[in-house]
Amino acid sequence: MGILVRVAVRDGGCDPPAVDAAFAWLRFVDATFSTYLPGSEISRIGRGELEPADAHPLVRAVLARCQRLRAETGGAFDARAPLGGPPDPSGYVKGWAVERAAALLQAGGARDLCVDAGGDVCLRGGPWRVGVRHPRRRDRLAAVLELRDGAVATSGAYERGPHIVDPRTGRPAAGALSVTIVGPDLGTADAYATAAFAMGRRGPAWTARLEGYGAMTILDDDRVLDTAEFARHCPAGALEAA
Amino acid sequence: MRRALAALVVTAAAVVLLARYETHPPPRLEPPAKPVRAPAPARPGVKSGTGPLINTPFSSIQVRAELTRGRLTGVRTLALTGSDAHTKAINARAEPILRERALVAGSADVDVVSGATYTSESWIESLRAAIRAARG
Repeated sequence: MGILVRVAVRDGGCDPPAVDAAFAWLRFVDATFSTYLPGSEISRIGRGELEPADAHPLVRAVLARCQRLRAETGGAFDARAPLGGPPDPSGYVKGWAVERAAALLQAGGARDLCVDAGGDVCLRGGPWRVGVRHPRRRDRLAAVLELRDGAVATSGAYERGPHIVDPRTGRPAAGALSVTIVGPDLGTADAYATAAFAMGRRGPAWTARLEGYGAMTILDDDRVLDTAEFARHCPAGALEAA
Repeated sequence: MRRALAALVVTAAAVVLLARYETHPPPRLEPPAKPVRAPAPARPGVKSGTGPLINTPFSSIQVRAELTRGRLTGVRTLALTGSDAHTKAINARAEPILRERALVAGSADVDVVSGATYTSESWIESLRAAIRAARG
């Protein structure tokens, strides 16, 4: 997947073999699910060399979960294979893999830990303070969250970068600069963030109906819409004007 | 600012409208909720205003707005009660209504930052290319 995964264990109580196991797990996920590696199972499924039914049980589980997420998001999260291309479950796989890496670290004795996979974070113990990047100013924050166990994922197109395309229309999603989702599972949070971002201006209303997951959408007119579940994690006065 | 205030009014109005929703049979009235007094502003430059406790026939609502240097930065529901199961169900749906505030560029001492990265951007790019390919 070519991303930097940073692990912080604050209580210092994790066995080194568990850290090795967690990173070995992430390398296995990359080798199996990468759409960039021609030999990965996902690439082989894409070329028709491997039937999904014959794939690794974890590949089948991930593809099944992606299918459920597609239904749940009304098609806004879609990991199905486009014509001729490989299926791309990356929008879910990263968070899913990081959750399992965190579980391996916990099994190694870590109680107070934070796994940061390129801006998608998985937290245990805590409390941890998570800043949400300001979509227009790289060095600033748009919000601060405080949580013990949970996950935070953000989807966005910053600095007029590439826009997410709404899979249902094939057109760029208009209206949102970023969507941040907080909730119990990072893979799900990541998929929800991607879906809500693809929905553009219709995203916030969709996020308001999520159960157990909070959302903050920053629109391109600099309005911020968040749900009560999101606001529940925002400590008052945490963000200083700068 | 004007737009933000308008949206605040719309949100408050929406909550009030939902709370006024007629229920059958007529509900048993509960004593109205006690108004919550607005706490002192936590930070310099932040002003908060607390609306009156509005008692409808079916519920009580009170909302606080927070302004930072004249910009709306927070809306909080201080009190929201319903007097029967049906109204409570409506209010439970009304409560997750999105809060609107203005985008702030702030700073704080945090452990980690969540934000879209190269990975999700490239995922977007690949999705876009895939859709282009799919459409021929």
